Amino acid sequence: MRTIFIILVFFLIQASIFAQVQVSGKVTDSRNAPLPGTNVFLKDSYDGATADSLGHFSFKTGLKGIRQLSATFIGYKPFLLNLDLDSARTMVLNIVLDESDAQISEVVINAGAFEASDKKKAVILKMFDVATTPSAQGDIFGALCTLPGVQKVGEDGRVFVRGGESYETQSFLDGMLVSTPYLSKMPDMPTRGRFSPLLFSGTLFSTGAYSAEFGQALSSIVDMKTNSLETEDKSSISIMTVGAMASTTKCWKNASLSLSGDFLTSGLSNVINKQQVDWTKSPAGVDGTLMYRQKTGKTGMFKVFGTLNHSSSGMIYPNTQTGIKQDILLNSSNVYLNNTYNSMLGEKWMIKSGLAWNYDHQKFDLDKDRIGTNQKMFQVKLQFIHNINEQTELKFGADWVNFSYEQNIRMGGNYRLPFTNNELSGFAELEYKLSKKFATRLGARIENSSLLSETTLVPRLSAAYKTGNHSQFSLAGGYFYQNPENDYLKFAPQLKPEKASHAVMTWQYQTEQKTFRVEGYLKKYADLVKFSQPLATNPLDYSNTGSGHAEGIDLFWRDKESLNLSDYWISYSWINARRNYKDYPVSAIPTYVSEHNLSVVYKRFFEPLRTYASVTYSFASSRPFHDPNFSGFMNAKTQPYNDISLSLTYIMEMFGKQSVMHLMVNNIAGFDNVYGYNFSKTPNAAGKYESTPIKSPFVRQIILLVSIML
Amino acid sequence: MKTLSLTLVSLLASIIGISNEAYQKAMTESIEKLFQATTIPEYVEIANQFERISNIEKAEWLPMYYASYSYIMISFQEPDNAKKDRFLDQAQKYLDQAMAIDANESELHMLQGFLYPSRITIDPMNRGMELMPEMNKSLDKALELNPDNPRVYFLRATMTFHMPEAYGGGAANALPLYQAADEKFRIFKPKTELSPNWGKEANEAELKKIQEVMQK
Repeated sequence: MRTIFIILVFFLIQASIFAQVQVSGKVTDSRNAPLPGTNVFLKDSYDGATADSLGHFSFKTGLKGIRQLSATFIGYKPFLLNLDLDSARTMVLNIVLDESDAQISEVVINAGAFEASDKKKAVILKMFDVATTPSAQGDIFGALCTLPGVQKVGEDGRVFVRGGESYETQSFLDGMLVSTPYLSKMPDMPTRGRFSPLLFSGTLFSTGAYSAEFGQALSSIVDMKTNSLETEDKSSISIMTVGAMASTTKCWKNASLSLSGDFLTSGLSNVINKQQVDWTKSPAGVDGTLMYRQKTGKTGMFKVFGTLNHSSSGMIYPNTQTGIKQDILLNSSNVYLNNTYNSMLGEKWMIKSGLAWNYDHQKFDLDKDRIGTNQKMFQVKLQFIHNINEQTELKFGADWVNFSYEQNIRMGGNYRLPFTNNELSGFAELEYKLSKKFATRLGARIENSSLLSETTLVPRLSAAYKTGNHSQFSLAGGYFYQNPENDYLKFAPQLKPEKASHAVMTWQYQTEQKTFRVEGYLKKYADLVKFSQPLATNPLDYSNTGSGHAEGIDLFWRDKESLNLSDYWISYSWINARRNYKDYPVSAIPTYVSEHNLSVVYKRFFEPLRTYASVTYSFASSRPFHDPNFSGFMNAKTQPYNDISLSLTYIMEMFGKQSVMHLMVNNIAGFDNVYGYNFSKTPNAAGKYESTPIKSPFVRQIILLVSIML
Repeated sequence: MKTLSLTLVSLLASIIGISNEAYQKAMTESIEKLFQATTIPEYVEIANQFERISNIEKAEWLPMYYASYSYIMISFQEPDNAKKDRFLDQAQKYLDQAMAIDANESELHMLQGFLYPSRITIDPMNRGMELMPEMNKSLDKALELNPDNPRVYFLRATMTFHMPEAYGGGAANALPLYQAADEKFRIFKPKTELSPNWGKEANEAELKKIQEVMQK
């Protein structure tokens, strides 16, 4: 009996080995294209096969009963099927795999927004691109000028977006307000941003119709995201023709501290680069920056960012208006502190909070006169994000900005112009994804200004629809308010906020290597500040009766793969803008607007030379100016603007340390660009209003930098 | 009765033996094929085999190690950057699963260090700065766990060889590293028959090539 039993068991085992089932078939995607390489197998067994180049597979199994067949392929949803292996000796299967959700990228609301980031795979610019764009000279705002929608305003250096003035672009750092993002500026001289691009891992630049989270900006916002927790100790020293820099980073398990400082002086540079300005004191400055990052708990991040700057410069300014050469000395100090804390609160809630403090002091000495300006800003912001479900996200928050301004003028007497404003704002925004292809965002923002005694409530709307695997169509619009500039508020605090409305339509095609984007927009301005004459002191000379409009088309094309080892982008903007504001007698094109703007940026790595080369070409068509020698208003035009800038980055070893040599040449072809003209207030003996052209302080500029990693 | 139970025990033992033997056999065959593979389809086929094995042998890190290794090899050959990233995501997935089984295995940290260079080649300018330190961290950890892991030396030598001389790379700087790796390979004994034991021949070939170049 026992023997029979054992024999029987062995027989059964043997039988199962010999009684094999043949499983074969074909694997395709939903469009019937074969998927070679698909892994088709019976779960919990070694039995299976890989689909060949035509999608065919075939394998034998000795298994019995009901088994689960699995087919997996990267980028596709796993396929599962119960097979009854006892039902037949051969089985032929046609397997169709669906693309996985990760493969089908979700629609993203992006009308008006350009994003630079190191984290995301598909973004328009990376911070490295910003740092190596030659025309930008290491300035974030300079790099933004190579994007469509931004005007070239060479004598200013700030960002002018879509027919808007520079103050209409508001800057943020980790979502917190920066009230003085630019260095203090001499008359007719370009300025630059305070912050080095190396401090940031990303920038969100929106040229219109942005989220309700951001207010007090008529045209545009720039939100710079500081680096996250550093993971490596490092130090570096840089020596430049314009000064020296040093930085160091120390890391702990859940925290990092970075310190950097620089001393900048253009004394040597002003000798190398022939100046068109009569400097009495070459621009010089010292900066210090501190960044502390601390991870708290599983999801919390606590960040402290602090920077201080002191700078000074002096020049003889030929004031054409008055016909007097003025001796100007500018001293300025600035401190910015920012502290944010973000964390998840459970699974579905997130908190974002922050404090920011900005102090700015500027002292202008004009011959014997003096103008001193102090600005203090303090902001508290609190925001919650709630993921209601997979499709719906609610964001809401509030912020309070306390801003005080004081100008002291000593000019044949002492004058004091102070004002304080408390701006209290709240916002809510609901993002709803109807499907993977269609998303909408509805938002509202309420703002109350204590100084202007005004409350505004505005809607913001946007929607995006995917038109293909890599393309999408977006629409966005909304209303935007901003308080008048400090230079008007100090005289006329009774003014109301200025108002703009945006409508933006975008189509974008984007893969990891290529981006094409076309955006059309309509923009209307109302309640712009108007006055009878510049620097009028009577509050009643100012009113909110100005208006304006701008419409245009922005194009962007970037390609990182078609040309070998090269990367290039092309931006083109066409704009039609008119304004009747300030002391304009009629509606006219403002002086900072050029109808056509073009930027071409080309970058290439030359491996045998260990050199990374970048070239920028910028073009802007004529800008209008007012010539009092002729009748009419804004009756003349400048020559078009051209610039070719070059930078070379050479990687080398110095004293056994990894080093970089960086050479920047601005306006290599030496174009004599004239941005506009200053006219005298009174005609000369011949009855002619004399003029002087407004130009760059230098024709060409060469800067050399050597950086050593310690 | 006693005999019956004995028979049953021995029968069970033989079944377990069969499955263990099947694992050994499947792994040995697959590893052999893996190191003979040259094309992407060949590597995919082997990766699939390891995936099937890993589905059963959930307590073993080796099938996932080799599946991950296969996908890294595929990524080196794949010209399309987007696909390359997806293969590396797959490789990382297996590596993470293997790490979950044994986080203190030197070979797994070595493989992590081997994965990063492929990621870097997709976008060297941007990813290099971020991932080079990560790679070094993984290799340091691998050496901490096994100071004699020859593959860590081999990878460091290869990275040095392909780096510009300005960064302390090039043939002259790589030569002593290849020699050190060669010595480590000579004394290396894999823990089991299935344990990672690759790189020796490649290291010898590189060493020979460099020595020839240096003589000229």
